[in-house]
Amino acid sequence: MRLSKKALAVLITAAMITSAMSACSSSSSSTDASSTASSSSASSSSSAEGATADGDRIIAAAKDGKVGNWGLGNEYEIFALLTKYGQENKFISQAFDMDGFDDGSITLASAMTYNELGLVKNSYEGGYGYGDKVGIIDMNDEGVAMLEDNLFCTKESAQKNPNTVKAFIAASMKGWKYACENPEEAAKIVYEAGSSVSSDHQAYMASEVKKLCETDTKGNKVSDYGKMDEAAMQQTLDLAKKYIKLDDSAAADKLKNLTLDDIRNTSYWEDAMKESFDKPEKTDVSIQLKWLPQAQFMGYFVANAKGYYKDVGLNVNIVSGGGDIGETTAVNNGTVDFGVTWVSNLISANAGGMNLLEISQVYQRSGLVLVYKK
Amino acid sequence: MSAKMNSKRRSAVQSVLLPVAFGGVLITAWQTGLLHKLLNTDEYVLPYPTRILTIISENTDKIMENVWASLEVALLGLLFGSVIGYLIAVFAASFRKLGSGGLTIVSSFNAIPIVALAPVIINWTKDVSPQADVRSMVAKIVIVTIVCMASMSVNAYRGLTELPAFSQDLMKTYGAGKLTEFRKLRLPNSIPYIFTALRVSVPVSIISALVSEYFAEYVIGVGRQIRENILIAQYSTAWAYILVACVIGIAMYAILIAAEAIVLKKRR
Repeated sequence: MRLSKKALAVLITAAMITSAMSACSSSSSSTDASSTASSSSASSSSSAEGATADGDRIIAAAKDGKVGNWGLGNEYEIFALLTKYGQENKFISQAFDMDGFDDGSITLASAMTYNELGLVKNSYEGGYGYGDKVGIIDMNDEGVAMLEDNLFCTKESAQKNPNTVKAFIAASMKGWKYACENPEEAAKIVYEAGSSVSSDHQAYMASEVKKLCETDTKGNKVSDYGKMDEAAMQQTLDLAKKYIKLDDSAAADKLKNLTLDDIRNTSYWEDAMKESFDKPEKTDVSIQLKWLPQAQFMGYFVANAKGYYKDVGLNVNIVSGGGDIGETTAVNNGTVDFGVTWVSNLISANAGGMNLLEISQVYQRSGLVLVYKK
Repeated sequence: MSAKMNSKRRSAVQSVLLPVAFGGVLITAWQTGLLHKLLNTDEYVLPYPTRILTIISENTDKIMENVWASLEVALLGLLFGSVIGYLIAVFAASFRKLGSGGLTIVSSFNAIPIVALAPVIINWTKDVSPQADVRSMVAKIVIVTIVCMASMSVNAYRGLTELPAFSQDLMKTYGAGKLTEFRKLRLPNSIPYIFTALRVSVPVSIISALVSEYFAEYVIGVGRQIRENILIAQYSTAWAYILVACVIGIAMYAILIAAEAIVLKKRR
């Protein structure tokens, strides 16, 4: 089976090359190829039409090999979901756009509620305009939610500069509170601070991020911004231990024995909320975002713009992420003081030998969904 | 006689012993942590050689699976690219006016960065198969083919056209036809140039195979493993795959040099 697939790949490549060589001008062969391709995609979509329930949909897409994810440490919730429905833990590597979903090569595509889902649904600049024709499968509803955007630093810097850490948390969470109460203004602030996306998409993102900050995995309302929910953190750690596969045996052993106390400390956030901290030991600090500047990180931009950081005696530099920038590495080697990452990424980094500490949990529920065409 | 032996021995010392000694010093400095002090880094970002070797020995099956996936792509792309590149060169040498223009276009493929080429080709080949692993392999082979094609066509063209004047005169004297001239003169004359091209395209085929894996839909290959592991902060494992990638590159190059020595020796 494997061999024949490879032979097929080689044959196709050879055929493509020869047809490209021989038919520089004649277009007949290329129309042939496109017509066979469209007929094959039509047959596969009709087989999926019968399935309506989410479970059937997941099983069908997994059997077709058409479940998409970006990989690179974003895939663990998808693994947990596939395992739940008895499917092999495999996915198609999805690009950072939704073209694979659009052209049908991926039938269940990963999307963040605040980003890709908006692009798929809406028809503003960069959107695909599917509107109501898109269905979603929510990781929170499926019981496989893992917590995402947090706030972290190194254990060493938390011990050395506890007041800086507490002051930073206090001002940042004030920023998050304001941003969630005024998402439209927050979107504007982010857009003006050097946004990577259009102002329309920024406004959509702010409204969705607000939901992630104010609702937990069970759908209950949360009013304490940045609170580390014990049960949700434990579920994240348990799923991480199950689905993060590390080839380095030393790291794998460490992962197996990690407890919540190895990855987070709630005392900094608690003191920050009570505003019981002194003058910061270190006043010039920086925060590394997980991605490009966008409303996903609106709390920090708002805190900066509204002068909340200045009020607690901090001068904050917000550092853009994106592409292959590793926020865990940047914080661990001291390039920046604070970082935003997913809890699962912090767990694998600590298993690999880093000494990182989560000090706040900004998103209270998973923002990952699988999208499909209705 | 003895002086000749001495100089031979000296050159052997220079070409083999010195690099080996340098490598030994480097690895010792690395293992003892001296290198970390010099480069101002920690054993986390740059793990010790023993740690890297342990990971390789513990994961041989998985590593070999990824090695074969990368090697298949590199070798098939190299094969297709070299054959097509040579045919282009033959065409260009036969129809000089038309061919030189085409050759310029083909050689300009060399200037396209692989990171720009890869996503385009992967999108372009999405229709070739409903199975992601098949179409990913096709996409990766096409990328390597395009990259390898350029260096072969340019070098082979030189081999087919830059002929010794006396040989051409001889061919004319015998009244040889175009086909005979090609078979007896141009083809043999181009063989050293083929190896010149391969010296460029063998390492490039590996590099482009590894980079194309970054963008491929189907997750497999040494390059992809390097990226995955760096992003989840598993530097020791990433280094294990980096080391494996180096070994593949060096081994392929060594095989090429050996083949070149054998083939060209016969001609002398």
